[in-house]
Amino acid sequence: MNKMHYVGQNEVRIDGLEKITGAARYVDDLEFGPNLLHAEIVASPYAHALITSIDTSEAEKVPGVVKVLTGKDFPYKFGLYMKDRYIFAQDRVRFAGEQVAAVIARSPKIAKQAAQKVKVTYEELTPVLDVDNALKPTAKLIHPELGAYPRVPWFFPKERTNIAHWRKTRKGDAEAAMREADVVLEDVYVVPRYAHCAIEPHVIVGLYDLAGRLTLWSASQSPFTQRNVFAETLASLGLSHKDIRVVTPYIGGGFGGKAGVSMEILGAALATAVRGSPVKVRWTREQEFCNTYQRQGLTAKLKMGVKRDGTIVALEHTLHFDAGAYVEYGANVVNAAGLSATGPYRVPNVKIDSLCIYTNLPPGGPYRGFGYSEFHFGLESHIDRLAEMIGMDPVAFRRHNAIREGDTLPYGAEMNPGNLVEAIDRVAADIGWGKKETPSRPGVSTGKGFSLFWKSPAMPPNAASSAFLKFNEDGSVNLMVSGMEIGQGFLTVMAQIAAEELALPVSKIRVETPDTDRNAYEWQTVGSHVTWGCGNAVRAAAREAREKMFDVVHRAYGFDPADLYLENEHVKSRAKPDFTLAYRDFVISGIQTPHGNFLGGPVLGSGMFMPEFTSATGDPETSQGGHPNVHYTVGAAAASVEVDRATGKVRVLKTSLAVDVGKAINPDLVNGQVVGGMVQGLATVLYEDMKFDERGKLLNPNFTDYKIPTARDIPDVVSPIIIETPQPDGPFGARGVGEHTMIPSAPIIANAVNDAVGVRIKSMPLTAEKIALEIAGTYADPHFTTGGRCKMPTEN
Amino acid sequence: MKKHEITMKVNGEVRSVIVEPNDVLLDVLREKLGIKSPKIGCERGDCGACTILLNGRTVRSCLVLAIEADGCEIVTVEGLGETLTPLQQAFLDNNAFQCGFCAPGMILTATELLQKNPTPDDDEIKEGISGNLCRCTGYQPIVDAIRTVSRSGKSGGRGKSGRSGRPHE
Amino acid sequence: MISTEFEYARPKTLREAVRLLGRHGKSARILAGGTDLIGWLRDDLVKPDILIDIKGIGSLGKLSFRQNMLRIGAGVTITELTESRAVRTHFPLFVEMAGMLACTGIRNRATVVGNICSAVPCCDNGPVLMVYEAVLQVTGQEGDREIPMSEWFKGPRQTALRPGEIVTGVTVPKPAGRHAACFAKLKRYRGEDLAQASVAVLRSDSICRVAFGSVAPTPVRAPNIERILTSRMPPEAALEAAIDAIPKETSPITDLRSSKEYRGRMLGVMLERAVKTVASRLEGSGPAYGVNVLDDYTADAEGK
Ligand code: FES
Ligand code: FES
Repeated sequence: MNKMHYVGQNEVRIDGLEKITGAARYVDDLEFGPNLLHAEIVASPYAHALITSIDTSEAEKVPGVVKVLTGKDFPYKFGLYMKDRYIFAQDRVRFAGEQVAAVIARSPKIAKQAAQKVKVTYEELTPVLDVDNALKPTAKLIHPELGAYPRVPWFFPKERTNIAHWRKTRKGDAEAAMREADVVLEDVYVVPRYAHCAIEPHVIVGLYDLAGRLTLWSASQSPFTQRNVFAETLASLGLSHKDIRVVTPYIGGGFGGKAGVSMEILGAALATAVRGSPVKVRWTREQEFCNTYQRQGLTAKLKMGVKRDGTIVALEHTLHFDAGAYVEYGANVVNAAGLSATGPYRVPNVKIDSLCIYTNLPPGGPYRGFGYSEFHFGLESHIDRLAEMIGMDPVAFRRHNAIREGDTLPYGAEMNPGNLVEAIDRVAADIGWGKKETPSRPGVSTGKGFSLFWKSPAMPPNAASSAFLKFNEDGSVNLMVSGMEIGQGFLTVMAQIAAEELALPVSKIRVETPDTDRNAYEWQTVGSHVTWGCGNAVRAAAREAREKMFDVVHRAYGFDPADLYLENEHVKSRAKPDFTLAYRDFVISGIQTPHGNFLGGPVLGSGMFMPEFTSATGDPETSQGGHPNVHYTVGAAAASVEVDRATGKVRVLKTSLAVDVGKAINPDLVNGQVVGGMVQGLATVLYEDMKFDERGKLLNPNFTDYKIPTARDIPDVVSPIIIETPQPDGPFGARGVGEHTMIPSAPIIANAVNDAVGVRIKSMPLTAEKIALEIAGTYADPHFTTGGRCKMPTEN
Repeated sequence: MKKHEITMKVNGEVRSVIVEPNDVLLDVLREKLGIKSPKIGCERGDCGACTILLNGRTVRSCLVLAIEADGCEIVTVEGLGETLTPLQQAFLDNNAFQCGFCAPGMILTATELLQKNPTPDDDEIKEGISGNLCRCTGYQPIVDAIRTVSRSGKSGGRGKSGRSGRPHE
Repeated sequence: MISTEFEYARPKTLREAVRLLGRHGKSARILAGGTDLIGWLRDDLVKPDILIDIKGIGSLGKLSFRQNMLRIGAGVTITELTESRAVRTHFPLFVEMAGMLACTGIRNRATVVGNICSAVPCCDNGPVLMVYEAVLQVTGQEGDREIPMSEWFKGPRQTALRPGEIVTGVTVPKPAGRHAACFAKLKRYRGEDLAQASVAVLRSDSICRVAFGSVAPTPVRAPNIERILTSRMPPEAALEAAIDAIPKETSPITDLRSSKEYRGRMLGVMLERAVKTVASRLEGSGPAYGVNVLDDYTADAEGK
């Protein structure tokens, strides 16, 4: 490949100036004029209850109230992968915080006052608050009509139970192989729920105008998916997709929390009830915690068999996901984990059961890592313990079993390129594996922990991207895509890809956030796939534009298109080195012929991309046969920590993370993902924790008691290592990286703490309290005892 | 509730606005004065997204009533100057933001920090901005950006372990 | 956004403030920094008819140090306190505590007096003012009176303040002779947090005072522990017995932030580290004020 000018460079972010001057506009910053209405939601105080009556009359009397709406006004179901939600609760509420009614008023204050006057009476039911109870044969059914819910073909609900989906993956004969293993270890690991905590809360403004056009300004990662869900849900209004417009300006962080459709359905629905006036629904921080998606809790039972030489021979992994009250999105998290819960290891005999279980907690859903963060904690803790049992160094054990290109994946397809071994070696070197650090003072112990990670985008097989771009008179370009700038630097990366193909500096390309009316289609910005998917579409669009440029130059000057190339904003010809034509001289106005007429015209390019090789047709009993995942991004990470034995406090001295991104289009932005993702992950293992009371109410819906990291809580050093083994079908070889950097954070800490103080904690988070009490031998968490069941090698 | 007319100097310009006693300054800045850089993140003082400079000091505008600010001087990121301050330039150069939602508050907090202490070490920088939450960057590039404008320009510094805890008379 | 409706007054004199308070009684709330009150209003936890903003009363904004007596007016912010030379020189415990109390943006607004008027069990100023044996000045229609810190807290969010009274300030006597102190705060992480537990230790050649936060319904002095520690000087010698006495002086509970087991265990660690840090500071070799001995413990005593 020729030397690249833009791809691989640390181009300055194109959204930078806006963001550091305060010019960047987020949904809540947009002006809608004096006619803007405000909605306040009436939420259920109960986790599980029947609604016996709703009296809105007092609220309606409040001056300034425009309308009060309830489930009766919107008897429609919705959902991304399975239609199991209603816009407002109908006859029953299934989690504390669920929307029961809405007051629309002239001002937020009036709406809030009036909402307190809506009287709802409930008949409280026993809530089902954990997976063990949900699976009992006597358990109350949270969705009695589960079997009738429309869903995608790769979900397998169990009617008349609380199991919304059961993904089974079978390869080889795990049971038999387990018998052959020299060492078998079986244990349970518990991961609680977590919140995304984007600093910008969810907000949407909807306008259903008098001409019947529905426009939504939404803080979303998924403008087109939202448009589609809105169109489906409000089908009774007769809205065509072309009549719905979703505009997504900058968003203040997503992390999966703003994917799909959660509270946004309210903006769309309420707008239709107050035709002609825009209406805003803005979540408070408390609602943000209680009624958007949460990361699902997981109870994972792991059984792994290993040969004495360190070869993994079998894995049985049973994952019980606490998916919450609605699983229209969350069930796909469970599905993704169920296909890949071997981790990046060669495991010949696999039995995975991944269960999506309804509970009366808030709906689970996508969160950076999408099931993988959850299962890596147990898996990588387990790997460390097995290595210890057979007396092998945990890094050597991982290296020995690391997956390689061409290996057979759990569901039968082939592993894509990626150099996991290089990642292991470089992280081991960077963290000083094998070298014990000297404690900084008496009373503390040092330790190191290691983990591998992998993840694939979880997408429907026909998730597609597209792009178009148009030249302007001065030779600059507007590029229109609908991937979302959620902070990762997407706009900049797309500009770099277009710049490379069009030989045009990034500063001459404007890429803006999506508007479904104007921009090309994109499924959603999730799964760390947009650099790859949309990048391919942008590349195709740029190439199409280039072909058009060559064509007009060919027709005007007679040059063979095969000799033409672009350089420095000019078209040039290898056959005629003195020929040079600036873009600005023809990309709009065309090329004048000796006859005085003009050839060409405004140059446009369009491109599309769909992973045509994927399918979700695997056998329901084994998952064999389909090709559900496009590719995996792999890597390794490690932590070096110091633990205060008296307080249990963990100081993270250093983390190191190597990831094979195929090609870093902008290395600095990749580093940004590594540092940001690592810190977000460290918080999940060290202190973040959603706490519910015995009636299912969230006790810490705020940053006062749900602690997310501050600048004082970061490791002294976070060291990113970029590996580039090209992805054959990726733009310039790139594959995704956004989520992956969060996945190994939990196990590297759990393993490092064990290394430092000899305490194996199997339930997240590893708070200072747990560590200190465990060291003192006084902790009483049932999920917490070291041990598990194991078979040890016999002496011989 | 009685309505009150209040007057504040906002980003160098004297502006008057009618408020009710229960109007929060953050909401008045955003909705009545059109100043959108202070963001709504938590409305309870936990996140720092709503940070503004009030009479030269950073405060959380979600915890101030508009009426309390009568007669005060307010500066937001919009009012830092026509051209980028060296700190803003450093934020740009260091990719010290991702989604950018925290950036206005973060920049003002760092501006005050550097005014009070032009040569902060890394620990002082981290302490100074620890009330401003950023969920995206992991803070490292923010600390890097502030360090480049700190006159010391030094990195490092772990724990205030200096031997200066003398007895007091 | 606050939907509760109230009026607002900004009296220029204390007399006017007292009159307003007298007129409105319980339906009035005093507004100083507002960092607690505005949040409570937003959450509808309080519904006053009127807020009486005392920031317009010039005399309450004063901070002075005269004749070995620090006076902190009710309008003095925590930042103003810690920027004062007199405080940095003679009352370093405030500086240490303030560095762990919330963040700059809050400290710039929150007042010392407001912090103890909110009277939550975890209030960080409580233990510090207690070991300094500070005294509050209160005024009302009945006249002025003083309330020693030891009598101030009556329960969670309850104080000795009577209806119609305003706290005008707090006086803090400078400890006599050579002295050193330490504030240790147990938090869930290094960033700002409400205390899971806190301890303040102040010592001179003759006294050793100890107070705790977050481990009882209010911040508490620990007279038994003080007696044990001062029974043998230097107090480090009596540490073990003092730690054994902790359960008698505290009643930690399990809540969202910590279990009572952890709180209980940590109190011992905190007391030990604080007492040893004070000892090393007294010798001129301790860590600078501002370090949290739970995060960065560097006292020489550790090795002894
Ligand atoms: S919005 Fe003010 S601190 Fe979060
Ligand atoms: S850049 Fe997103 S919150 Fe800081």
